[in-house]
Amino acid sequence: MRYVLRRLALYAVAAWAAVTLGFVLPRLMPGDPATTLLARLRGKLSPAALASMRDALGFADGSLVHQYVVYWRHLLHGDLGLSVAYFPVPVGEVIGTGLGWTVALAGGAVLVSFAAGTLLGVVAAWRRGGVLDSALPPLLALLGAVPYFWLAMVALFAFGYALHWFPLGHAYSLDRAPAWNVAFAADVARHAALPALTLVVATLGGWMLGMRNTMVALLDADFIKLARAKGLPPRQIMLRYAARNALLPSITGFGMALGFVLSGSLLTEIVFSYPGLGYLLVEAVRNQDYALMQGLFLLITLAVLAANFLVDVTYVWLDPRTRAHA
Amino acid sequence: MRPRALVLALFAAGCSVAASPSSSPSPSPNVLSVSVEQASAWTRNFNPLLVGAARWPTRSGIYEPLMIWNAPAATWVPWLATDRRWSADRRTLTLTLRDGVLWSDGASFSADDVTFTFELLRQHRALDGAGLWDFLAEVRAIDPRTVELRLQRPFVPGLVEILQQAIVPAHVWRAVADPVAFTNPNPVGTGPFTEVRVFRNQVWELGKNPRYWQAGKPAVDALRMIAYPSNDQANLALVEGEIDWAGNFVPAIERTYVARDRANHGYWYPPTGATVFLYPNTARAPLDDVRVRKALSLAIDRRRVVDIGLYGYARPSDGTGLSDAYAGWRDPAVAADGWVRHDPRAAAQLLDAAGWHRAADGVREKDGRRLALTLEVVSGWSDWVRAAQVIARDLGDVGVEVTLRAYEWSAWFQRLQSGAFELAIACPSLGLSFDAPTPYYAYRWISSTSAARPPGELLPTNWNRFGDARTDALLGDFERTDDAAAEHALMRQIEARFAATAPAIPLFSSPLWGVYSTRRFVGFPSAKEPYAKLSPHSEPEDLIVLTHLSPRRR
Repeated sequence: MRYVLRRLALYAVAAWAAVTLGFVLPRLMPGDPATTLLARLRGKLSPAALASMRDALGFADGSLVHQYVVYWRHLLHGDLGLSVAYFPVPVGEVIGTGLGWTVALAGGAVLVSFAAGTLLGVVAAWRRGGVLDSALPPLLALLGAVPYFWLAMVALFAFGYALHWFPLGHAYSLDRAPAWNVAFAADVARHAALPALTLVVATLGGWMLGMRNTMVALLDADFIKLARAKGLPPRQIMLRYAARNALLPSITGFGMALGFVLSGSLLTEIVFSYPGLGYLLVEAVRNQDYALMQGLFLLITLAVLAANFLVDVTYVWLDPRTRAHA
Repeated sequence: MRPRALVLALFAAGCSVAASPSSSPSPSPNVLSVSVEQASAWTRNFNPLLVGAARWPTRSGIYEPLMIWNAPAATWVPWLATDRRWSADRRTLTLTLRDGVLWSDGASFSADDVTFTFELLRQHRALDGAGLWDFLAEVRAIDPRTVELRLQRPFVPGLVEILQQAIVPAHVWRAVADPVAFTNPNPVGTGPFTEVRVFRNQVWELGKNPRYWQAGKPAVDALRMIAYPSNDQANLALVEGEIDWAGNFVPAIERTYVARDRANHGYWYPPTGATVFLYPNTARAPLDDVRVRKALSLAIDRRRVVDIGLYGYARPSDGTGLSDAYAGWRDPAVAADGWVRHDPRAAAQLLDAAGWHRAADGVREKDGRRLALTLEVVSGWSDWVRAAQVIARDLGDVGVEVTLRAYEWSAWFQRLQSGAFELAIACPSLGLSFDAPTPYYAYRWISSTSAARPPGELLPTNWNRFGDARTDALLGDFERTDDAAAEHALMRQIEARFAATAPAIPLFSSPLWGVYSTRRFVGFPSAKEPYAKLSPHSEPEDLIVLTHLSPRRR
């Protein structure tokens, strides 16, 4: 428990640092939102109009320290401000258009990819030199090395456009109102299948190879030899002894991947017309939309921290040594 | 290969090989699918007073202006106002409003709404993007059907801003605390489409106004807007027959789109968009020398710029630099002025005369200074980047060393506004369609002594920082007249002045993208029937099209 508490304190400091970075970084970018606004407003905005526009947007002029205080005060009230790119829609509402879909699609894809890749890696290492071990890794490595944009386009062209197996885009049928029922869930699944599949295919190889390689190294370890010598069933050695220990590095990677789910998967969103946070992030940068950027950074930061905390807890459970040292 | 080209190559191949039947899910009958804006998800914003941020067609479907400038017909179409009249001194504009117009909630439209809208702009300058109150003095209702606008000074070109201002209902907006930050989720308007039937992140539908003042219109039940994050996805949907009307650029459109259904698929890309210029920063030597600017102009092969940069869709500029939207204003004598022809030899002679002589390495020099310039473009605006590449080569041929530099949009625009550039490719209204009855703004935005500000100061227009006192005087005279003959006489002089001073180097007038399918709806404007612009990026002119379309009879 003390271990967990100490970690929590560390995370609080990390969260503060990250939130502060989210404040500083957008302000270091070239250009400023006022000029972008000028362009959006046909380049004819009179100086008076520009000044009142800046007021309306809540650009806290004045010292950086003052802006920083205002930033924290708004943040603590849950007020993320108004988006510039989607003015005057509040940032919370803009993020809301994509958050759920990103969590479901990218999160689901990471989970499936991690689970399947790890399992394949375990089996490949256990049956070293077998069919699975010699055929799959090169194939997956090849698919992973193909530029993702191209992979997604080809998948969309082949399975969506030419064969009509999957819809050409969007997260659900346009004539169907979102509802919590089986029919809508099935519709969402049908639409998510192809984009999720491309995401899984592109990342599966990494998980599999990582797991396989750690496994292979571990299988020569003394405690595995001991387990074999004791005559334990092979399945128990494979899963409870080897895989459990080999999982540790993969879990770290998984935590990172899970945290970055919220930064969205821009290319998937664009190719499959899927709503999500990746597109919003790019729009925010394009329009110097500090408010939206800060909102998204905050979300991503918190997600990464939460995922890392989860990893730490999992470590405690998976690896008795962490418990001993705490 | 660029992604876009790749995608189209793929789908073009698919058209011939797969030849799949178009099994598109047909949306409910009598709902027109339109693709104008691109987004991954829709945000609900119907505030018509904020330019550029509200969902299409907030300013050309939900809300309506007083009159609409119909560019192809070159006429004012009376809309919420039926008549306009200038006083003799051009200081007062009197508008007569239409009878029998109702807001979509049943209240009746009156002069009160008009004065309220203009008053709102005065109190919240952020909403006055057009700068109306820079020349307006007072707006008051004479009676429920008559509005009088008094101007600070005679300013006839401001008519386009006044008449095309979207009018909001006073009885609804009076209660809005902060109209600048108001997203207006449930709009009440006078337009043909006012009822938001569906609003989801991927699709939204706008149903027709049951109380619309044009009896029997619109003939379309509802508009449907589907979210596509980029041109590729929208084009794919277009090819699949899911979209009836779009403002998209479609490469090789004859092969990829029209050939799929010759009876129904059509497009109209008239070169009536803005003129794209090569902007010289005239505050810097050697671009302050008119001979150098004209030499650059003579060195450019505009035909090749258009063919390579814009797939031949645009029209090379003539001597007036006017887009085809102002075809009626063009003085043939100025248009034929040779300063925009492709003549590298004449360019070389001009540069020699200006004292720039070729050095050993072929680049010109004067007093030890090399004639080396940087040309700034927006990275990702591939048509302009290609145009810039052609220009850089052409200029290199006459001994001007040009270095291309690509910037992210906002960085590029800041450099343009602050005068940090040497050469840049840009157009005065930067991609936003802006049609006016006269080319007044087209010239004022590239030649005005008010632009002679110190470098570093941001300019909203006139980035070339060029001023000419005689052009100023002519534009001043132009502001004070609304007599057609006098206007044309003045404009001919302004055009001649433009050709003589070369404030910026016109390249081509850009096309307006418009694509349609008559499979389900008929009545789209086209080159054969140019009753209005086809491009749906034309606020508020789209109103004319939206009230003209009707479902195909079966």
